[in-house]
Amino acid sequence: MTTQQMTPVPDTGTSAPESEPAGRFTATWVRDQAIRRAMVIVMVLIIAYFSYRSARFGTLDNIQSIAVAAAPFALIALGQTLVILTGGIDLSVGSVIALSAMAAAATVKDHPERLILSVVVAIVVGLVAGAVNGFLVSRVNVPPFIATLGMLTTASGLAYVVGGGAPINGLPAEFGEIANNKVFGLQIPVLVMIVGVILLAVVMRRTSYGMRIYAVGGNPVAAQIAGVKTKRILFSVYAISGMLAGLSGVMLASRVISGPPNLGQGYELDSIAAVVIGGASLLGGRGSIWGTALGLLLIQTLNNGLDILIVPAYWQSVIKGVLIVAAVAVDVWSARRRT
Amino acid sequence: MSNRPLRALTVALTGVALLSAAACGAGDPTKNAGAAAGTAGGTARIRVGISVYDTSSFITAGKAGIDAYAKANNIEVLFNSANLDVNTQASQVDQFINAGVDAIIVVPVQADSLAPQVASAKAKNIPFLAVNASLNSKDLAGSVLPDDVKAGEQEMQMMADKLGGKGNIVVLQGPLGQSGELDRTKGIQNILAKYPNMKILAKDTANWKRDEAVNKTKNWLSSFGNQVNGIVGENDDMGLGALQATREAGVKIPIVGVDGIEDGLKAVTSGDFIGTNLQNGTVELAAGLAVAAKIARKQDVNKNPVYLMPMVTSENVALYTKHIVTAKDAFLAQLPALIEANLKTGKIADEGTS
Repeated sequence: MTTQQMTPVPDTGTSAPESEPAGRFTATWVRDQAIRRAMVIVMVLIIAYFSYRSARFGTLDNIQSIAVAAAPFALIALGQTLVILTGGIDLSVGSVIALSAMAAAATVKDHPERLILSVVVAIVVGLVAGAVNGFLVSRVNVPPFIATLGMLTTASGLAYVVGGGAPINGLPAEFGEIANNKVFGLQIPVLVMIVGVILLAVVMRRTSYGMRIYAVGGNPVAAQIAGVKTKRILFSVYAISGMLAGLSGVMLASRVISGPPNLGQGYELDSIAAVVIGGASLLGGRGSIWGTALGLLLIQTLNNGLDILIVPAYWQSVIKGVLIVAAVAVDVWSARRRT
Repeated sequence: MSNRPLRALTVALTGVALLSAAACGAGDPTKNAGAAAGTAGGTARIRVGISVYDTSSFITAGKAGIDAYAKANNIEVLFNSANLDVNTQASQVDQFINAGVDAIIVVPVQADSLAPQVASAKAKNIPFLAVNASLNSKDLAGSVLPDDVKAGEQEMQMMADKLGGKGNIVVLQGPLGQSGELDRTKGIQNILAKYPNMKILAKDTANWKRDEAVNKTKNWLSSFGNQVNGIVGENDDMGLGALQATREAGVKIPIVGVDGIEDGLKAVTSGDFIGTNLQNGTVELAAGLAVAAKIARKQDVNKNPVYLMPMVTSENVALYTKHIVTAKDAFLAQLPALIEANLKTGKIADEGTS
């Protein structure tokens, strides 16, 4: 994976010699590219292996399956990327998914006409939870790990409160439309994921807001001196993360037309894994949206491919764990080779 | 940073400890009074401590049944949830013992747990019962447990009948190693052994969850295409996840489940499920309380009745939908009488005809 700079500079700037046209396609160039694109190569190898083992893996239907499964994770991984870029962490996204899903389900229970309202409710609930995190981190100076851990427990408890201790069942079939209807031939969550990735990638690379996020994570003191309103930036990334978790929650609930209070349990770890596989540093300042998208795709492709090859769940855990660590190790190693 | 927060914490903790000690102490006199009265008359008020593993929909339904039966039979219920933690459950049971309740019911977090609690309850002559999930102990006064092997057999039989005894199935299992999963899987395999022309293409866990089952099933449908003739879910939630996966893949495949939750019954009514097996928490936990109360009152009762899940098909789904969804309160009103009748016949899962 390419390493994102503190300020978004195009990748070609990292090592001078290879950008000379004369040096192209030499052994050195190939080796250099191999090191720089280590994660992409890992990804290609995995895809090649699955395609070789099963003719069904590469079908359009299956690629859509991967995309649909990936979408709710993508939304929280995007939010998590912004938070991690500032040097923070958001442990609450899984629980916020549960809470907003329950809120959406409760809204639409017996009222199929409140479809859009349920989406709005989920987003607002997520936003409020995220804003509380942001307030605690930026204004009260509670460490992000603690603030969002508190929210993890609180939101999870509230999700049960909304359902009276039980899942919300018997929802109108219309609730399923949010996640299952198609626009431009794509299921809505897939479309939301694509728009989200592109939008945030542009924001992070091309806007001053994106640059400020990198600055806060890279060196908060320097950023403050340079006039960046650090507290506002911090507040905003947690709020965005919460809002995206809310959106993810309503998508998940809609897909299975129910409100389970234990929805999204453990998803925070998957989102953090995607961000880290994508080359981000947990210390902040380094990482990118495209990296996260690639990391997410890696995890989801593994989930799908291992199911297709009928690998038992316990072996899937082992393989995923090893691959996640290996992928990051390769990235760290290649980053060292580059400098 | 001074040590002031630490001191505040210590004071707070001491306060909590004192309060809970006081609460436990306060329980004793009531108990003695109750016990004394209990020897005089058979239906004197008794207190039963109940600790459940978590607040699932099954437990929520069960709580309604417990309350209905308790009210009709002069029972005071102390109800606690252990939030899936073995230690929490152990302390809750300890508190019941200290409070001197007349009987203890546990829906265990884990089968191998609570041994010291069972022993100390026995030493104090407090009947200790396991309900809904088994507890590995010889000292239990009684138990009310579902037959999960039978549930697995029933659902697999429904599927085998539907497919005419031949074809390929996939199985969505509960969390691997949990007794419900182990027993239901065993039941499924018992029936499969009778049908050499039926084959499991894939079986794996979706942890009882709809959102996991939808992705797992969809990946299997990618893998096997139209070779999948039937989907066996070890609970309704996973069956419903599979149903969503078949919809997304644009195929129609027979699905069967276990539990009889609201959405599962709906799927049976609409024909999306070929059937399910009802585990009605309201009936099962009320029966558990009834057995515990009768043991505490030294009345004659089968101490280990088994809950055999009724098979739910399109023919009888309307009745169960009434009991679980549309006319819950009416069912709760007739529940105490139903439980008494069931304990006499031994068919504790029976739900009558109205």
